[in-house]
Amino acid sequence: MLAVEHVSKAFAGVQALDDVNVEIGANEVVGLVGENGAGKSTLMRILAGVYSPDRGSLKLDGAQVLLKSPREANLNGIGIVFQEQSLLLNLTVGENIYLGQEAEFTRLGLVNRRRMNAAARRQLAKVEVDIDPDTRTSELSFAARQMVELAKALALEERTEKHLIILLDEPTSVLEQRDIEILFARVRALKRRASFVFVSHRLDEILALSDRIYVMKDGRVVGHMEAGSTTVPQLHQMMVGRDRHAEYYRESRQGPPREEIVMEARDLSVTGAYRKVDFVLHRGEVLGIAGVVGSGREELTRTLFGFVPQSSGTLLIDGHEVRLTVPSQAADHGVGYIPRERRTEGLVLSLPLAVNVTLSKLPTSRITGAIRLSREIQLAKSWVDKLHIRTPGVEALCLNLSGGNQQKVVLAKWMNARAHILILDHPTRGLDVGAKEEVYELIRDLSEEGVSIILTADTLEETIGLCHSILVMRDGKVTARFDASPGRKPSQVDLIQHMV
Amino acid sequence: MTATKSLRAGGRVQAAIPIVLLIGLVILIGVLQPSFLTADTLLVVMADTATLFILAAGITFVVMLGGIDLSIQAVASLSSVLVAIWLGRIGYWAFPATLLVGFITGAFSGVVHVRLRIPSFIVTLATSGLVAAAALLLSQERSITIGEAGRAYLSWITGRPFGVPSVIFIGALVACAGIWLQCYTPFGRYSAAIGAGEAATWASGVKVNRQKVIAYSLSAGLAALAGILLTGRLSSGSPTLANELLLPAIAAVVVGGTSITGGAGGIGRTVIGALIISVVRVGMTFVGVDIFAQQIVFGAVLILAVAITIDRTKILIVK
Repeated sequence: MLAVEHVSKAFAGVQALDDVNVEIGANEVVGLVGENGAGKSTLMRILAGVYSPDRGSLKLDGAQVLLKSPREANLNGIGIVFQEQSLLLNLTVGENIYLGQEAEFTRLGLVNRRRMNAAARRQLAKVEVDIDPDTRTSELSFAARQMVELAKALALEERTEKHLIILLDEPTSVLEQRDIEILFARVRALKRRASFVFVSHRLDEILALSDRIYVMKDGRVVGHMEAGSTTVPQLHQMMVGRDRHAEYYRESRQGPPREEIVMEARDLSVTGAYRKVDFVLHRGEVLGIAGVVGSGREELTRTLFGFVPQSSGTLLIDGHEVRLTVPSQAADHGVGYIPRERRTEGLVLSLPLAVNVTLSKLPTSRITGAIRLSREIQLAKSWVDKLHIRTPGVEALCLNLSGGNQQKVVLAKWMNARAHILILDHPTRGLDVGAKEEVYELIRDLSEEGVSIILTADTLEETIGLCHSILVMRDGKVTARFDASPGRKPSQVDLIQHMV
Repeated sequence: MTATKSLRAGGRVQAAIPIVLLIGLVILIGVLQPSFLTADTLLVVMADTATLFILAAGITFVVMLGGIDLSIQAVASLSSVLVAIWLGRIGYWAFPATLLVGFITGAFSGVVHVRLRIPSFIVTLATSGLVAAAALLLSQERSITIGEAGRAYLSWITGRPFGVPSVIFIGALVACAGIWLQCYTPFGRYSAAIGAGEAATWASGVKVNRQKVIAYSLSAGLAALAGILLTGRLSSGSPTLANELLLPAIAAVVVGGTSITGGAGGIGRTVIGALIISVVRVGMTFVGVDIFAQQIVFGAVLILAVAITIDRTKILIVK
């Protein structure tokens, strides 16, 4: 139906796509996998009309088409559900679904809201969600917004004669397990109406949802197979071009934590988010917090770094009672934070690597209080060596580093500040397989050196693999605690039954 | 790798533009009016630049961390009134007392800005109104001429050690101190980081609010110093003394190459920017442009400079 033929695209000398051929048939889900930088996003953007190919062409039902803008892609039946959601939070659901398409409901310059909302309700019914189109989008949960986004893409049906193709650009990266399953069920049900192109970092999801799979590496398609005839390890190997490490989470390096308690929560509560949370964190321990969106685990981790002060209960760091109201207080107590939003909260992208490494603790002269610039460069260089950060130099701007190397710079920042408690908020989000493994290796190193870690991970597998102990939360309460020493690790099912 | 190198080279080229522009302007005016290139004229230009530079240097601290200070001309005018009143009564103590008032107004703006989370241009605009009104009330809406007794205290401003007006030395001192603050102290480093990425700087444990209050205090403090210098040179204080100086001061910061959105630039560049503005001003006087019409040129220069230097990739939507 839609064929991508010999498409190439380069940016500033970097070949993002190199002679790519992909076909999308009617009523099927095509999975697209590859490491970061493999070219998936570029291909999606070409299909969505954001970029034009340098060479090659797109053919729709055998006829060549030029998609010069997202609007033209829409008119040819191609819609996209973005990874970063594209809904405007200050508008209602109905207004979002028909944003830019109000003309069909307009008379004498006035929008007939009743008719627009009725139409929006029809779109929402297609994805089987019961949301009033008059609801402000900001009031919806993340998962509900994703459904609205899908409904918005389905609204294209009524504007085009063409068969619908919906591009799902990592729709699951921000969803929790339960919502992912709902999304998948909807996509399967919608297959009779549309074809889907599905991009995800999670290979098990790709296998579960797709009919056919294309594997990309370095801008080329390196594999193409039926989903039923392949396995996760096989996909892995094609993506990275090497075998997946037998010991992915470095479990053999997981030693027992020390006796000493570095952080303790007693009856910790934040009104409206979580209540009466207790935990104890030992020196060198990795403590995982599992839970779905809305379980309170995000707020809990943000309390520990002073973003959201507790409304009641006690937090002790190294035996001292503290109430953290701003991040600088947490940092003063030796707590570090690796944020999920690496590019906005983790790094100052337009500043050099060295400046970012010393942002939490500057080397200053004891006499004048001035920054010791040469010492700073020396420190940055030593962290680059120690963490194997791949960079042209310590003067390189962070925006020119890859995601994995950026994450190492954030880690270096807190190691340089000698943080002895690190809060890792989805530390491997958006990283490719190789970079993930390096982060796992670093977590083990830190743990051995006596740094304690609180981890909220992207997947349960990661939580189980990395942690010494796991706290499970549901609806703002701790519902279970697991010992996760090697050999005694709980299964994903063990955790999930306490999460939902 | 090449991207990094070309980017930094691009930065260097951009930093060099104001210097080339300055030299070009000086040569141009020199050709049209050879008397411009005499040592005496150049010293006058530099002395004129000193006060403008000191005002602009203050704003630079605030612009670096992504804010703006619109209160400086009012603070400078109030300072001139205060110095004129106090000189006769408390002698040399008038200077530190006036500077202190300047710092306090700045600290006030800063604290209101960070505590109540109000945009800096609103806070400093409001402070400007308060301060301007105070100056008018204190001076009873008149300019205050400093008597013979008071003038004795002004010799450090009006003097010419080694034949060079002392305000040039004062300006140079401020420049050196400012460059040191920005390049070698945690305050300077954090300011640049806040301007380039406030969320990340905050989440790195930097005391962001403290840096902001320091920056606004420095800005108003330097405005007070500029007010004192102006008073010294004119031997009188006036509640409207610095009224035409806000626009040229902001223009000097931006023309020098400090990004109006913060994060890049510095006092060193403001030195060049202030010289450019001064040379343009003197040049216009040479050509015979009306003093009030000069604001048209500064307004146009400001918009042009921002249009050329702004990095639009960072700001998708302008409010």
